[in-house]
Amino acid sequence: MTAPTWAEGVCAGVHACGSRDVIYVPDNPLAHVLSTFEDKYRDVRLILATREEEAFGIAAGLYFGGRLPTVLLQSSGVGNSLNAITSLLMPFQVPALMVVSMRGDVGEWNAAQAPMGRALGAVLDAIGVQHSSVDSDAAAEIAVRIAGRTAFATRAIHACLLPRRMTSP
Amino acid sequence: MNRVEATRIVVEIADAAPIVASLGHPAYDLYAAGDRPENLYTWGGMGIASSIGLGLALARPDLRVFVLDGDGSLLMNLGSLATIGLLSPQNLTVVVMDNEEYATTGGQATPTAKGADLAAAARAMRIDPAVTVRSDTDLRAALVHPGLIVAKVTESPPTSKPPLDCVFIKQRFMAAIGNPEPGTAGAAFQPVKRPR
Repeated sequence: MTAPTWAEGVCAGVHACGSRDVIYVPDNPLAHVLSTFEDKYRDVRLILATREEEAFGIAAGLYFGGRLPTVLLQSSGVGNSLNAITSLLMPFQVPALMVVSMRGDVGEWNAAQAPMGRALGAVLDAIGVQHSSVDSDAAAEIAVRIAGRTAFATRAIHACLLPRRMTSP
Repeated sequence: MNRVEATRIVVEIADAAPIVASLGHPAYDLYAAGDRPENLYTWGGMGIASSIGLGLALARPDLRVFVLDGDGSLLMNLGSLATIGLLSPQNLTVVVMDNEEYATTGGQATPTAKGADLAAAARAMRIDPAVTVRSDTDLRAALVHPGLIVAKVTESPPTSKPPLDCVFIKQRFMAAIGNPEPGTAGAAFQPVKRPR
């Protein structure tokens, strides 16, 4: 199975910003990212978390141990992460690259995904987490790479959002 | 055995190894047992101290990592047991101070007061060994191993609180365990050593 261009770009961007530890709670589009990491980036450690808040705890611990963590999650899982982000990573100035597979944005079919998906940008703004969106397949590598570099250089979380029109056209 | 007595034993056995303490009473007791730069007082991230310890243990396989958790806080994050069981890091020891109450919030009973068994839950998630101890002798013996220890303790009212500056705690901690945060004073005087 050939991974879509955007997934190849996400993996290349994560790798290029220096992150070798990827904590994930899977979703359908992210399966392409995970399989690309497994196939082409044997130096990247993939760590499965049972829930998104746990993923951010593991990410913080990795950073305290000198690593640069990436968290892969679906937008719905950002809600599950808010206490870890706001009460641990932000006050400790622990950076993480967040790669967020969007639900609830344009193209969504499931009403249950809509409220959080539509609110996500405002929620991240409200807590002061920087975010940017990947506009096209071709832009994925640079968008993720500079999101990660920004995060690790400024010791702050940066969320890179993968829109549904790209991941699930 | 009360909680601060058990905490002192963990600090003694840990020697120079890092200790991650859950927010609230576990962190207060760790500070009371003796402030040291290898102490990570979390202040936030309620429930995820064991996850922080797991990440640290994965980042630094050359170090033993200890976690001071509480029964109430671990109950918020039981999925962590499955992740720790799955990865089974041989350098991580999670100590759950089980006083059977939410002591930090006023002493409401937790499910462990009615028999919920966190060591059995850990064993079911393939954390090995996972034991319950009730004496200082048994705690000392268990601390030799990785895995999970439920220490049945009585409540001991905290007497002091650790420093509140989270960035100070982080930078002091990272420098002390040998991976100073890049761009900090600690890093200027020590080469950044990244494992692997």
